[in-house]
Amino acid sequence: MLDPAALLQFGQALALQPGPATLQGFQLPEGGWTYVVSIVIVSLQVSLTAVALSTLASLPVALAIGFTDFPGKRLVTAVINTGMGFPSVVVGLVVLMLLSNSGPFGDLGLAFTPEAMIVSQFVLAVPVVTSISLSAVESVEQPVRDAAYAMGGTKRDVGLVVIKEARYGIVTAVLAGFGRAISEVGSILIVGGNIVFSDGQSYTRTLTTAITVEARQGRYEVGLVLGVVLLALVLVVNAVGSWLRDKGRGEGSV
Amino acid sequence: MTLRATDVSMAFDGDEVLENVSLEASPGEIVTLVGPSGTGKTTLLRLLALFERPDAGTVSWDGEDAWALGEDERLSVRRRLSMAFQEPSLFNAPVARNVAYGLRVRQGWASRARSALGRLVGPDTGPPEAVAAALERVGLGDKRDQNALSLSGGEAQRVAFARALAVEPEILLLDEPTSNLDPRNTAVLEEAILDAAEDGVGVVVATHDMHQAERISDRVVFLLDGETVESGPPERIFDDPDDPRTRRFVRGELLYDADEVDEGSTEQNSPGSGRVSSQSE
Repeated sequence: MLDPAALLQFGQALALQPGPATLQGFQLPEGGWTYVVSIVIVSLQVSLTAVALSTLASLPVALAIGFTDFPGKRLVTAVINTGMGFPSVVVGLVVLMLLSNSGPFGDLGLAFTPEAMIVSQFVLAVPVVTSISLSAVESVEQPVRDAAYAMGGTKRDVGLVVIKEARYGIVTAVLAGFGRAISEVGSILIVGGNIVFSDGQSYTRTLTTAITVEARQGRYEVGLVLGVVLLALVLVVNAVGSWLRDKGRGEGSV
Repeated sequence: MTLRATDVSMAFDGDEVLENVSLEASPGEIVTLVGPSGTGKTTLLRLLALFERPDAGTVSWDGEDAWALGEDERLSVRRRLSMAFQEPSLFNAPVARNVAYGLRVRQGWASRARSALGRLVGPDTGPPEAVAAALERVGLGDKRDQNALSLSGGEAQRVAFARALAVEPEILLLDEPTSNLDPRNTAVLEEAILDAAEDGVGVVVATHDMHQAERISDRVVFLLDGETVESGPPERIFDDPDDPRTRRFVRGELLYDADEVDEGSTEQNSPGSGRVSSQSE
């Protein structure tokens, strides 16, 4: 295990020529590794929770839309697809208005909390997860659903078969939703407030919002390091996703 | 244990596909549905399998209208039938799991969860006996671990048949079960159908293949343009049919388009025969 304190010293030792725009070394911001680690934890907590919740909400919607024909289906699909391009600052603004003390949900006291960030990332990820899983669900052909029904499956069994047949597409949808959530800045800056406690523990600061702070303060190296950490996280999550997707190939579990 | 369609009619988008057709399937009997493409054979099988409710007429199980039953009771009727389609429509999973699907949905959720868990952590116990037996019957015992989507067309069709057979149905509905098979495998499948009937399963087979109908049927039903023209034992239908249209169909003259054959014909005066619907298949 790495000792954070030792690393901090290492970081300081490397900072031979502190100052902006030098890549020879970098000075960790106040709070050191505690700060960085807590930022990573907040980022992951917020984005993973938001994506898990949006998957739970999106899959039934995608199944319902994919399974039924109703007037206005194309319109609903178009609206969901449009939702993928929601400007995140607008979402942040609306969520803050709803959650602020004077807003309809002000009593919940959620403004400037990680929960508020989860809400706004949820809103941003839902259209992405819904839209991509909808096209995955729709690609499962009617004869396959018919086969499940003809073998004595209930509606729920048929739905389960569709989810399992569409599993690669659904994993892709979840990964895309996670990508949208973790790389998000605008809305969580507005609803979370980018708060760090005086001991360096992050409350609502994530990797992305921390990078904006570092960039504004001219500490590009720290910003870059945080960027690398962010990239590494996205890479790890995607690798796990791809592994899951490929693992099922050929040995699915209908 | 009798599945009966009585005077069923069905239309899609205003296009009549079946008109007042009746058919009965009873234990141990093989009924073949013959007729040109698009004549309503698939639609009739789907009505028998309780996919859709007929526009008119009834589909009944042991005299009880299946669509008058509650959802749960209808499900238990459905679970005494099974159907294999012309298109195999297999799941993206190993062959054995495809064939075991019908058995799995018949288990409760708790037992399904237990066996899923058992598959993750426990030793490989192999497929249930009925699954292995069904696969052996169609000559695919060695393919059980292969992914079903990697099979050839003929193998896939045999797996689809095994999947329908593995639930040990009382009535087995088959839509063109040998359309993708070579003569040797056609013989394997016909043998399996005859075996099933011998075991007391009632079988309804829709087929284009007149020789097959002659080989396996106890009773042949000739459908044309959504109506029953004639039905009876194969010897009579093939050697001495009552209706001139049946005779022409059996001779191979009425295969695809009733219109073309009808023109200039004096034998033909059925009102519905000028149209061949392409809706049902």
